Amino acid sequence: MRDTIIKEKVLNHPIDSVWNAITNANEISNWFLEADFKAEVGYHYTFNSKEDECSAIIGEVKSASPYTLIYTWIVKDTPIETTVKWILEPTNKGTKLYLEHSGIANYSGDTAIAMFESFNGGWDNCINGLIHYLKPQVNAR
Amino acid sequence: MHDKITQLFKAIADPTRREIFHALVIASSALSITQIANQFDISRQGVTKHIKTLEGAGLIHLKNQGRERFCSANAKPLQDLNKWLKFYEQFWDNSLDNLDTYLNSSKHG
Repeated sequence: MRDTIIKEKVLNHPIDSVWNAITNANEISNWFLEADFKAEVGYHYTFNSKEDECSAIIGEVKSASPYTLIYTWIVKDTPIETTVKWILEPTNKGTKLYLEHSGIANYSGDTAIAMFESFNGGWDNCINGLIHYLKPQVNAR
Repeated sequence: MHDKITQLFKAIADPTRREIFHALVIASSALSITQIANQFDISRQGVTKHIKTLEGAGLIHLKNQGRERFCSANAKPLQDLNKWLKFYEQFWDNSLDNLDTYLNSSKHG
């Protein structure tokens, strides 16, 4: 059993386009979460969900040199810190994206229990709402 | 109930404990501490220590029967943890799909 999620995805786009999409606040706001973000080490960013009742994500940029981006990932008003790391690599066709979300075991104690309990409620709905917002055309199955 | 997940990770981080837990799952019935100790060729004391950690994480239940203590597996905490991992798995899958859609639809590339 591990507490790290790893995702790899090959994107048919130049590495700088992908880098901008994950580091530029306007672009992040478009496909991910509404972002107050700067790809500068030490910057305290905020990702807001588009629905009011959902918790924001906050954290600090730890590394932001092309093409590695690392930031801490904290659900606001919880003490739990996890880490998200993005690494981009050029390929002949486009870009290989590597995403690592580590420290999920840190969801411990009362916070974890509270969040477990709301697992099928609040936060889950926030994400679903977000997905519907972003993908109005796509039939999510 | 404090530090539930931390305890769980600590419990399953050790290979011997994972083996003990696995053996209990396979046995699908309660095993005594003596039976476990014999099976693993470690001291009774060593087994007892591992069992305590596993019990703390909620991975096993202990029951006294006569002069022996019997252990049985409880996989529920692992399912809880799995929920978290699944949640974020889904979250990132969806997000990366969104990123792909975004890149395809914008003027980039």
